[in-house]
Amino acid sequence: MSAKKLIDFTGQAKGFQKHDRFDDNVVNELRKDGAGGEVVVIDYAIGLSEPAIVSDHLNLTGSSPLCGPNNPIGERFPVVNDIYVCDDAKLPKGLQSLKKIVIAGLKDGVKTGEKELELIKSMGAEAFCKNVVHTMIVAAHAKKKVLAIVVPEGKTLSADLLAAIAELN
Amino acid sequence: MSQAVADRAENAVAYLKDKVTGIPAAAVVLGSGVSVLEGLVDSKSFPFLDVFGISPSVHGHSGNVTVGRLSEAEDAPLIAVFRGRFHLYEGHDWSVVTLAARVVALWGVKKLLLTNAAGGLNKDYHVGDLMVLTGYRDHLSPELAQTGLLSAIAKPTTKCSNALSDELLKVGEQLAKDDKEFRPLRQGTYCALAGPNYETMAEIEMLRRLKGDAVGMSTVPEMLAVEGTGTMAAAVSVITNVWREDEPMGGHEEVLEASKMASKRLDQLFRKVLG
Repeated sequence: MSAKKLIDFTGQAKGFQKHDRFDDNVVNELRKDGAGGEVVVIDYAIGLSEPAIVSDHLNLTGSSPLCGPNNPIGERFPVVNDIYVCDDAKLPKGLQSLKKIVIAGLKDGVKTGEKELELIKSMGAEAFCKNVVHTMIVAAHAKKKVLAIVVPEGKTLSADLLAAIAELN
Repeated sequence: MSQAVADRAENAVAYLKDKVTGIPAAAVVLGSGVSVLEGLVDSKSFPFLDVFGISPSVHGHSGNVTVGRLSEAEDAPLIAVFRGRFHLYEGHDWSVVTLAARVVALWGVKKLLLTNAAGGLNKDYHVGDLMVLTGYRDHLSPELAQTGLLSAIAKPTTKCSNALSDELLKVGEQLAKDDKEFRPLRQGTYCALAGPNYETMAEIEMLRRLKGDAVGMSTVPEMLAVEGTGTMAAAVSVITNVWREDEPMGGHEEVLEASKMASKRLDQLFRKVLG
């Protein structure tokens, strides 16, 4: 996989663009070189014990970054399936052993405790994060594939994993 | 709601009352590609831009109001057909998305039939099926854009059966008995999401766990808007695709094509119910 856009919400990966949160700067970055290509995104997630690769998502943010006039980079009603890169054959060797999970995207600031995590799990997701889902939707609209790596909140990536991620550069 | 938005509904009613003699017995709102009740007698059409001051921006929503009699019969009811609607995903706020429904209620129209193009969640459904809403899940109300959907998914389905939806089902049952070409109606729960992107497979699975039968991007705001008014609303989804893991998902063109196929049966149904 030849990643064109490297976006890191954890601040840990070398060579990646660092962003504190999903915002217009991320949208502009994803669109500025036109449609097509690939995005690697790294974000923290709650509910995990180990880093994982995202295979699908539930958008529970209550919003979409595509609301409003359609940006001509993509269709008004984009199909957003088969966007995540999670097939081992397409992953660098150092990432193949990571678990593939469904994540839920929540809005920043939403209260989340055990009850909320249980609810999310009952809907089919294993963990939740704040930035991957909207990033993926904008990327999918721009016909880009997305390799999303989620890291337990506050956890430091291992040297091996950082090395594997560096290969994506 | 701001005064300007309230005025917009009142202005629209004043406009329609000026142009139309009498109050329609029923209004119909048509979703993406759904085409019924063509050829109303002695009809007049008004672009949304003239009625509301704005137009929808979506292909498949032409954006006009046609008012006319259902047939040549002297006592045929007057019907108003809203071809097109406003959606949250276009960037409109709730007051605009509910504008047509509020105009219908303010105008004094007693029955409101809503239609939409919807993806089938229920695996027994087929493309072209018509589903009368007996329940809905609201995953698009404005407060959810602030709080997220956790509270919405924790809520039970809202039941929405009434005399009008019962009538649709009863007439549909009779039509299916009399005409082998008329597929029996489905009845089920409609999940309203904001869109505009279609759902992921994980979201489809979630909505199935929530007992949703169909999913779309409209209708619930309009149903909520007429609650507590003198207008009774019922809704029919045209099932334009059925989400299955082993089938690729179609896009908006597929929605429009499937809507056309089902429109003939929906036209039969509405003419019988409103006649």
